[in-house]
Amino acid sequence: MAAHPKPLHVEPANYLQGGGVIGWLTTVDHKRIAVLYGVSALLFLGLGGLEAMAIRIQLWAPGEHFISARAYNELFTMHGTSMLFLAVMPLLLGTFANFMLPLQIGARDVAFPRINALSFWVSLMGAILLHLGWFFGGLPDAGWFGYANLTERMYSPGLPLDFWTLGLIVAGASTILATLNFLVTLITMRAPGMSYMRMPMFCWAIMITSILVLLAFPPLTVGLIFLLMDRFFGTHFYIVSAGATPILWQHLFWLFGHPEVYIIALPAFGVISEVVPTFSRKPLFGYPMMAYSICLIAFLSYGVWGHHMFATGMGPVADAAFAVTSMLIAIPTGIKIFSWIATVWGGSLRMTTSFYFALGMILEFTFGGLSGIMHASAPIDLQQTDSYFVVAHFHYVLFGGAVFAILAGIFYWWPKVTGKMLSERLGKLQFWLTIIGFNGTFFPMHFLGMWGMPRRIYTYGAGLGWTHLNQLETVCAMILGLAFLVMYINMVWSIANGEKAPPDPWDGRSLEWSVASPPPVYNFARIPEVRGRDAWWIVKYGRTGSRGLAAYMSGKPPQPSAADLAPPAEPIHMPAPSIFPLILSIGVLVASLGVIIGEWRIVILGAVTLVVAAIAMGFEYPTFGQESHDPMAAPSSGGTDVRKVGIWSFIGSECLFFASLIATYIIYKGRNIGGPGAEILEIPLTSFSTFALLMSSLAMVLALAAIQRNDRTWMRVWLGTTIGLGLVFLGVEAYEFTHFYHEGLSLQTDLFGQSFFTLVGFHGAHVSIGVLWLATLWFASFGEKFDGSRSLSVELAGLYWHFVDIVWVIIFTLVYLMQQVKGA
Amino acid sequence: MSEATQTAGAIATHDHADQPHHPGAGIYLIVALFLCVLTAMEITVFYVPALKTVIVPVLLVLAAAKFALIAMFFMHLKYDSWTLSGIFIFPLFIAAFMLASLMMLFAYLAHHLA
Repeated sequence: MAAHPKPLHVEPANYLQGGGVIGWLTTVDHKRIAVLYGVSALLFLGLGGLEAMAIRIQLWAPGEHFISARAYNELFTMHGTSMLFLAVMPLLLGTFANFMLPLQIGARDVAFPRINALSFWVSLMGAILLHLGWFFGGLPDAGWFGYANLTERMYSPGLPLDFWTLGLIVAGASTILATLNFLVTLITMRAPGMSYMRMPMFCWAIMITSILVLLAFPPLTVGLIFLLMDRFFGTHFYIVSAGATPILWQHLFWLFGHPEVYIIALPAFGVISEVVPTFSRKPLFGYPMMAYSICLIAFLSYGVWGHHMFATGMGPVADAAFAVTSMLIAIPTGIKIFSWIATVWGGSLRMTTSFYFALGMILEFTFGGLSGIMHASAPIDLQQTDSYFVVAHFHYVLFGGAVFAILAGIFYWWPKVTGKMLSERLGKLQFWLTIIGFNGTFFPMHFLGMWGMPRRIYTYGAGLGWTHLNQLETVCAMILGLAFLVMYINMVWSIANGEKAPPDPWDGRSLEWSVASPPPVYNFARIPEVRGRDAWWIVKYGRTGSRGLAAYMSGKPPQPSAADLAPPAEPIHMPAPSIFPLILSIGVLVASLGVIIGEWRIVILGAVTLVVAAIAMGFEYPTFGQESHDPMAAPSSGGTDVRKVGIWSFIGSECLFFASLIATYIIYKGRNIGGPGAEILEIPLTSFSTFALLMSSLAMVLALAAIQRNDRTWMRVWLGTTIGLGLVFLGVEAYEFTHFYHEGLSLQTDLFGQSFFTLVGFHGAHVSIGVLWLATLWFASFGEKFDGSRSLSVELAGLYWHFVDIVWVIIFTLVYLMQQVKGA
Repeated sequence: MSEATQTAGAIATHDHADQPHHPGAGIYLIVALFLCVLTAMEITVFYVPALKTVIVPVLLVLAAAKFALIAMFFMHLKYDSWTLSGIFIFPLFIAAFMLASLMMLFAYLAHHLA
């Protein structure tokens, strides 16, 4: 057991002070973690920008040889991957959401601070993995979409694609951890009085985005696991000659990929919904409709992935369905745009740099949305597919939408984060350079696309008439690069010489402006009570009345009083720092590296580091066995324990993971080319193991009932029974797998074999984790502190166990009992 | 020192008094009995040739019943907050939609490649 970390008795200092380098490496403070995300993301934003400029220089003239064709492919692959996964998402979620959510809802931190730290360090390790190819023969070059079967080993030999695949899995896992944290925080940790309909719109956006991430990343993870298995274990998930179809990758990828657009867009909408009302000095127009439209966009985003695949030939019914849903999504998006315009309309505008970028976002994103509606029409899309028109469209959405919003957010929240003001003069210069550079780079691409210039080509012929526009784009790309250089200079200048920021420099509306800039470690000396939407505005000006409005319109906002900013009367207990999230993530990096280079000693070293750090994280919990004193276990504002909401959110995400595996099994079971088929499955044996697993669920709930009545003896009996029945299930599965292997069915035999072993094997892995979890509880139950107050720990393990059970209910029916039913 | 984020004073008195009431062993045993009966019915359906024509809907209904029993009683969704049900049911809906969509899309593909 690791030593308990010493309590951190919080000093009335801001979060940036103290601790040194070790303090930053071990921090679990959401604000410091947000800064770490921000620094990392800004570096990758710069790197992605340099990659883009190299691409543009190569396209300056026909037959240019600035870089080789392979280097060009590597650069556009890493540009897309870095910008989406390492720059834009980390800035919107890792930085803005991490920093602002707890402050906006009146909380002292996120629900799981150490998991928050783990999310950052794992994401950094994922980013390092993605770039390790530099040292092992080059970067991946199959595009950020990694279309199969270009990614198979026969077409992409060497290690770069392996680093890309594993790096994305690791980075994706970190994003799932981070958003699970945000979702639980928003559901359970809102300040008294802050109902859902009083939350700032940014919080709404992050809440719904978190759901999107939890449900969209699992299909991508499954697709990447298949790819890894093809590359490492000789399976054929995307190999046509084995009867498989590369189209499966496209479905799994775009099942993630289109929600991903909204995973980026919704937080951007949230930022704009904060900036626009503040600088228009008006409440956000149509708040309820703005919230509902976020929900509707998220819901519809699961039904539009096919519009990326019109060219694959899905059939007229599917094309029509995807076209309709894609067009429908324009309605809630339009509601947002009109609401922002209505908010600005008649407002008392303050033309700050942040507001400039917000207005720029509304304009540029609308352009991108309009060309998006063109893509929703299948016949038009077929003309535009793989042309520069598409490049123009998605840059108007992702740069015009997300990056403009990020820039608005940076100028808006920088004073709160750093305690310093950015230069407005440099900011305005950056804005105009961005507007000129952005539109000059991407608007001509519409024309180039319609004139037939395909995307992803590293050069072009001289007589095609594309030269002048390409040269214009290259010049403007350099101007865009200059704009970001101005931003970096502005940031450095601000930190070194910037004017000190007051707590509320913009006359803000939400609670983050009620605390000092930069905020204290504990955020709020006293948890605020929320009396309505725009909670801080109400505190300053009152709910209604001309007197408040007059003060508001006078442009001299009252700052938080000395009493508001006074340190707390009593010490506030905050999360203790922990080194284990960093150590665990180093274990992930080392193990991944070992897997890719085939050095099993390195894998073992990484795996041991990972497991030891995970166990240490579990046991460093200072109140282990004393949940009644643990606020994590305390009923929250939602009335439900944070950990219970956390495990249910995880289970929800797992639904999509298993659905992807089951779908693949059903699609492939009938596509065998040789080898045994589903008739090999034995019903009597599996019926026995199914019965064992069902009874293990009964034993599990009896164990819970026992500990709830403080009966530790019977709790141990039933928990032991559960573990025993789980081991019986695993034993039968091991026998079944061995038997099939001797009958000639292996992971490499055929499509049935690989999809069966993968689905049932992953379920078995979940059962194994469940057995380990329950065994840990069983041993812990011999401790003196393990009494009825720890029943929640048993309940959480039980929830996971029952979920594994109900997944087996589905697998037993679809795989075993329906073995004679033809697949899709 | 605590891992959490509220004031010490605010948390010291919390216990599990606010936790929802869970059923006792009797209910659990009855649910387990139902699960056994439903599983037996599933296996029977598999072996009875006369039911081959309806095997898919019958098995799906039986599996759904088992699924619901475990989720409602063993996982306590029947007794817990609606928030938790929502967190589970929405992903379940999306998963089912995705599964059905992929099956239809690949059925079309297989039909036209054949």
